[in-house]
Amino acid sequence: MSNQPRWMAAAIALAVSCQAQNVANVVKQGEAVFSKTCATGYCHGVRGGPSGAPRLAARGFNQAYIDKVVRNGVPDTGMVSFTTRLSPPDLVAVIAYVTTLNGIANPDVSMEGRGDAVSNRPTLTGEAARGARLFSEAVRSFARCSTCHEVSGFGIPVAAPMAKVPKSAAELKALTTPDVKTGAIGGETMPVLVLSQGKQGAVFYDLTSAPPVQRNAEPGAVKFTDGSNWRHSSVIGAYNDSELAAILDYLRAVIKP
Amino acid sequence: MRFFMVLFSTALLSVVPALAQDAGATRADWPHYGGSPYSWRYSALDQINTSNVKSLTPACMFQTGDYAENLQATPIVVDGVMYLITAQAHVFALDAATGREIWNYRYPPVPRSIPGFIGNRGVAVGDGKVFFGTKDDYMVALDQKTGRLAWKVNIDDARQCGCNITAAPMVVKDKVIVGGTGGDGAHRGYITAFNTRTGRLAWRWYVVPAPGEKGNETWKGDSWRFGGGSPWLTGSYDPALNLLYWGTGNAAADFYDTERVVAGADKSKDVNLYTASVVALDPDTGKLRWHYQEVPDDIWDYDSSYEVVLLDRQMRGRMRQALLHMNKSGLTFVLDRATGEYLGSFSVPEVRNWMAGVTEDGKLVGRNEPAMGKTTSICPSAAGAKSWNSTAYSPRTGFLYVPVNEMCADITPNDHPADEGKNYMNGDFPFKLPPGRTTYSHVDAWDPVTGKRAWSMPYKYVLLASMLATAGDLVFTGNPEGDFFALDATSGNKLWSYQTGAGHRGSAVSYSVNGKQYIATPTGWHSSVVGALAQSLFPDQDWRLGSTLVVFALPEGSR
Repeated sequence: MSNQPRWMAAAIALAVSCQAQNVANVVKQGEAVFSKTCATGYCHGVRGGPSGAPRLAARGFNQAYIDKVVRNGVPDTGMVSFTTRLSPPDLVAVIAYVTTLNGIANPDVSMEGRGDAVSNRPTLTGEAARGARLFSEAVRSFARCSTCHEVSGFGIPVAAPMAKVPKSAAELKALTTPDVKTGAIGGETMPVLVLSQGKQGAVFYDLTSAPPVQRNAEPGAVKFTDGSNWRHSSVIGAYNDSELAAILDYLRAVIKP
Repeated sequence: MRFFMVLFSTALLSVVPALAQDAGATRADWPHYGGSPYSWRYSALDQINTSNVKSLTPACMFQTGDYAENLQATPIVVDGVMYLITAQAHVFALDAATGREIWNYRYPPVPRSIPGFIGNRGVAVGDGKVFFGTKDDYMVALDQKTGRLAWKVNIDDARQCGCNITAAPMVVKDKVIVGGTGGDGAHRGYITAFNTRTGRLAWRWYVVPAPGEKGNETWKGDSWRFGGGSPWLTGSYDPALNLLYWGTGNAAADFYDTERVVAGADKSKDVNLYTASVVALDPDTGKLRWHYQEVPDDIWDYDSSYEVVLLDRQMRGRMRQALLHMNKSGLTFVLDRATGEYLGSFSVPEVRNWMAGVTEDGKLVGRNEPAMGKTTSICPSAAGAKSWNSTAYSPRTGFLYVPVNEMCADITPNDHPADEGKNYMNGDFPFKLPPGRTTYSHVDAWDPVTGKRAWSMPYKYVLLASMLATAGDLVFTGNPEGDFFALDATSGNKLWSYQTGAGHRGSAVSYSVNGKQYIATPTGWHSSVVGALAQSLFPDQDWRLGSTLVVFALPEGSR
């Protein structure tokens, strides 16, 4: 139990309180979630009416079916999986609400057994929360960590998953990157991160500028040599030391060795 | 003086008309999304014409096998090879005369957790590559000959931004340029350019300026961060002026402006730049050259992200390098494309109440704005007097051909706070049909110089496929019932129709192979967003889905 994420304890506690509470409160919460997340004009209609996506009210759907669709989405349509888009309580609430739209007055609002598919983003506070924002801050365009790193389900996995987190901003700036090599292709050299190399050719990231470009080269067209003049410190320059420290706090909170 | 005038106009003729009038048309190829970089969707081929179109028959069909959200793309044709992309980014190179597959490339399925709509409106071809954007925000380059992946680069984290690429990219010189969606969510739109050879970033232009940049003062507080404006379609390019033209999307939140508009802002001037605008950018640097905001403080979801049609016409006493640009409201602006100067405008829907009119200098008057705490009926709807499907322009008739829909919406705003990448429309807007009508769409021919409608062909339901004009004085388009048809470009009379078996939501093209003219159209309707919203208004209709390209030609011996 000790390795369960914090949300699960919170979810179980909330489940107990939900059961004790009036189902109507959960359904009301679900209506608010539905109004904000589902009845968004181009998708479902208000109160499950017809709109860009199919009508949901009075369709004879049972709760198990609604639960499945909300969690898994519908292939090849705009209906995505909402398991990572909504918090577990909101997920349960919106499923309960849509269930009531189908004439079932007392939907199951318990949270038990629903811990299999939820957001892997833990609740963060303080500097770690600030670091999480900085890590993927949109206003920084490509000069943000998430251009090359995927953490907690956000960001682009150019670099391999982080195994350990540097202790300080100074250590982060001094980070060595032995995986980065020098690629020579068509008379041009560039810092590269090699993904694969074989009879089919080579697949590598060109790190010359951000964002990195994944390139596919014909067999024998590219030569890789160890070492590179590329430095991690050159791509984190848009962050100051305080910001880097906050980002490290975030990473320590979510990356367990 | 007279001598001078003759000299002057001769000089103009030798420069100006030689550019747009020749370069605006396509011939054997259909090299760009809009036909040519002038976005006319007009073919100079006239083998198929008003006198023989009745003999037009299918030459071949190509079934893509990808039935997710159907076929919306504009096929690209270069040297007898057609490049076609499906909604889930299956890319095909086909023999354009026979439909035989030359190669195919399947982009890996995008995880179900990636938000947004499935759809792809076309590839771009240039520098020996085929370029396309993806739902998970990659720009991808394939080798044009083999279909082998050359490079791919991520432009944003779709899980965070709630944005996708559905538009066809555009190749300009050594760059491939693309816009994205997301402007109905809390997102800040942009256009991004990459080097065609290396895939490296060339530039990015944000629709919404950051603090310190000109235009940021038209935003209240921090609202610029999530101000929308996503330019989600494809631009145009004038090589002589070296200017790139692009339409930008609505401001966000769509139906609630309290968080983004400075109190007391003068709405006869620019508000929330550069949303709901047409912009001219330097394609080499991405720097803004001029802008024209069409809907200051857009509070109706009237994106201006639609196609920009570049044309040279005699206007106000002299030959003008002009552009035509329609936004979702159906209000169509005629601007000088060198300077952005307002030359005129016309409004295409028959049912309109969002504003009373336009002043002589292009300002909106009598704005009818949705307001918090009540429901306001607004016409046209946020589906647009025209949807994203394109107009066509024929230099022979001088008409712009427009598929117009007559729909309204009951808008009820709300004030949900911005949450990055999540829906930020802030309003419900169920569609409805305007009362007292029996037809709810029409194909129109508009004279952009006089602003007058020359003819109009009504249709019972909605029209959501692009127009194609040809030098055979024909205008082609399709309807949701599956009919693909040809109208006389001069009169609007229907000359030919063929039932293709599934609804039309894509863009037809014309090209020739070995001297034979073909007309090709994607079929398959589009089952979500505007297609479904429109369909819900006609509950007795069951418009069929599919994903088939149908290619038409004249039978041998009938030419």
